Amino acid sequence: MSGRILVVEDDERIRSSMRLALEGEGYDVKDVASGEEALDLFAEAPTDVALIDIMLPGMDGFECCRALRRQSAVPIIIVTARADTHDVVAGLEAGADDYVTKPFVAKELAARIRALLRRARPTEEDPGALAFGNLQLLPDQGVLRQADGTEVHCTRTEFRLLCELAASPNKVLSREQLLDRVWGYDYFGDGRLVDVHIRRLRTKVEIDPALPQHILTVRGMGYKLVP
Amino acid sequence: MGGLSYFTARHFLLAERETAAQTQAFANALVVLKELAGGNTHKSTAYYSSLGISESSISAQLRSEVLRSGGAATQTYVSGPYGQPQIVVGVPIPSVHAAYFEVFSLSDLGHTLRVLGITLVGTGVVTTILGIALGRFASRRSLRPLAGVSRAAVAIAGGRLDTRLEPDAADPDLEGLTGSFNTMVDQLQARIEREARFNSDVSHELRSPLTTLSASLEVLEADRFNLPPRAQRALQLLGDDLRRFQRMVGDLLEMSRADAGSVDVFLEEVNVGELVQRAVEAGMRSLGNGADVPPVVISPDVQSVHVEVDKRRFERVMANLLDNAANYGGGATAISVSTRSPTRSEESAVSSDGGGGTGKVDKVDKVDRIDRVGPDHDGAPKVVEIAVEDGGPGISDAERIKVFDRFYRGSASGRRGTGTGSGLGLALVAEHVRLMHGETWVESAHSGGARFVVTLPVLEGDEGPVW
Repeated sequence: MSGRILVVEDDERIRSSMRLALEGEGYDVKDVASGEEALDLFAEAPTDVALIDIMLPGMDGFECCRALRRQSAVPIIIVTARADTHDVVAGLEAGADDYVTKPFVAKELAARIRALLRRARPTEEDPGALAFGNLQLLPDQGVLRQADGTEVHCTRTEFRLLCELAASPNKVLSREQLLDRVWGYDYFGDGRLVDVHIRRLRTKVEIDPALPQHILTVRGMGYKLVP
Repeated sequence: MGGLSYFTARHFLLAERETAAQTQAFANALVVLKELAGGNTHKSTAYYSSLGISESSISAQLRSEVLRSGGAATQTYVSGPYGQPQIVVGVPIPSVHAAYFEVFSLSDLGHTLRVLGITLVGTGVVTTILGIALGRFASRRSLRPLAGVSRAAVAIAGGRLDTRLEPDAADPDLEGLTGSFNTMVDQLQARIEREARFNSDVSHELRSPLTTLSASLEVLEADRFNLPPRAQRALQLLGDDLRRFQRMVGDLLEMSRADAGSVDVFLEEVNVGELVQRAVEAGMRSLGNGADVPPVVISPDVQSVHVEVDKRRFERVMANLLDNAANYGGGATAISVSTRSPTRSEESAVSSDGGGGTGKVDKVDKVDRIDRVGPDHDGAPKVVEIAVEDGGPGISDAERIKVFDRFYRGSASGRRGTGTGSGLGLALVAEHVRLMHGETWVESAHSGGARFVVTLPVLEGDEGPVW
């Protein structure tokens, strides 16, 4: 599977090895050493997935992530040295779709990229339009809009997550199920991915995100969507 | 003090009365002498001026002393007919071979002394009670800051490093203590944070070259069939040890983070049976030795039991236990999941520090855990026990605590063989489990092998889904 990948990493050796490994997996790789360069390159070269290291000189990874998110729904993977810090949650909140920890296994990274690329494309099956509240979800077009036609912007991961929940209304989906269907993770995937994305979705589809009416948490079970 | 006042007063009053009595007795004796000299001699006759007084009132000793010595004598506290204290003064009258005795009652003095005594005792009792009360109040007041220091110290020991003592404006004497205590905590916090920062830096610095190494190695491995056989063999060795090195660095960093208290635990509610089944499958996959997945026996009473775990940590726990069984016990033979009451922990649970292996139970964590777990039908808290048994030679009593020490290889040391453990596996098991409010120990399996046990608190409302 081919895809254009933007690697943002300040360590030259890591950058080169990542390029070699990802090219070996069949991707078209462009690499830059700073967040500023990444934004410049992103503006002129089409990118399917961005890989951003958190520790960057100058503009850090979070900022770079936010800047990219402001102008695009491109899937973003953050690269962090530690999985158990607030870095992961902060990165996800800055708009990242997924994360990998150093030292990563190139095959695993390739699998993550594949999962993101897969769902960045329209779903094969066509569930037709899904509606809840005053929102309308058009999975085949990748569009979420309000009753009056205004489009609600969300990332592809958010959109896919919403589709999964809306496809089986009132049914509880566990974190594991959502991780598997949306991110392609197994049972031991990081539940924080789901939690942060749900939080982000709520700010977009709920009137009061603190008192959600549609995307509900079911304690100890997972999440469900109530139309 | 009261007693001293009483005796001083008594002594003084008595002395005064004695002097007065003597003076009066001499004066009266002169009068009597004059009368007797006047010729009214009645030999061997005693005259009494009061009915209450008889010859017996005057002791023989006093009489003989007065008559023999020819000098005046006084005797105090002769008990009178009604038990009254008296002063008896005897004055010899040699000219008529007689002696004059006069008895002075001390009943009024006795009364005075009694009142004085009662007053003094009363005052003493009241003063003592007041003193005790005041003392307790003062000591409590003056020790209150110490209680504060003690609470703060406990909080700091518990990891809340931002704890500080409030300066007490009302008591400037304590400023010094508060100041130096807070300075100490500041320095401690700075040091711990420096260490945590150092660990984080080391983490980053070590992971960068490892990332390059592993990514480059994968490129080479993808291409290995184009390499000559010798190079392929070298690549194999490189790959194996690089992965081992990666695991070791990962384990070391995990451990140092735990030491610095800078760990985040992401707890999720999960069904324990499914969790263990999945973790065993993942653990066997990561072993990569092609061994069959050992049977996981889930007892019926845990079918719907939920626990709160950090799944990543639990996966590591199972992987390390399976790895340990593979390296030292000939592979895991069975994994069982069941509930039990948390009594075993008192004897031999591994200590909270994970490396000390002192066999103590972290009290704070214990209390915390008891609060969180749900009661069973008898109202007693329950834990779920996950046991990994192996078919090895077992672990001797002496080694049961030590196996959880860092880098402990015990009697198996020297024959590391193909084992690729970091030497931190079991220490991390204990640490991860502690972070999830559980306990870890090892005992003997019925088969004679080792039986590693991990307990986790059962969550309340384990009857099933709550909608």
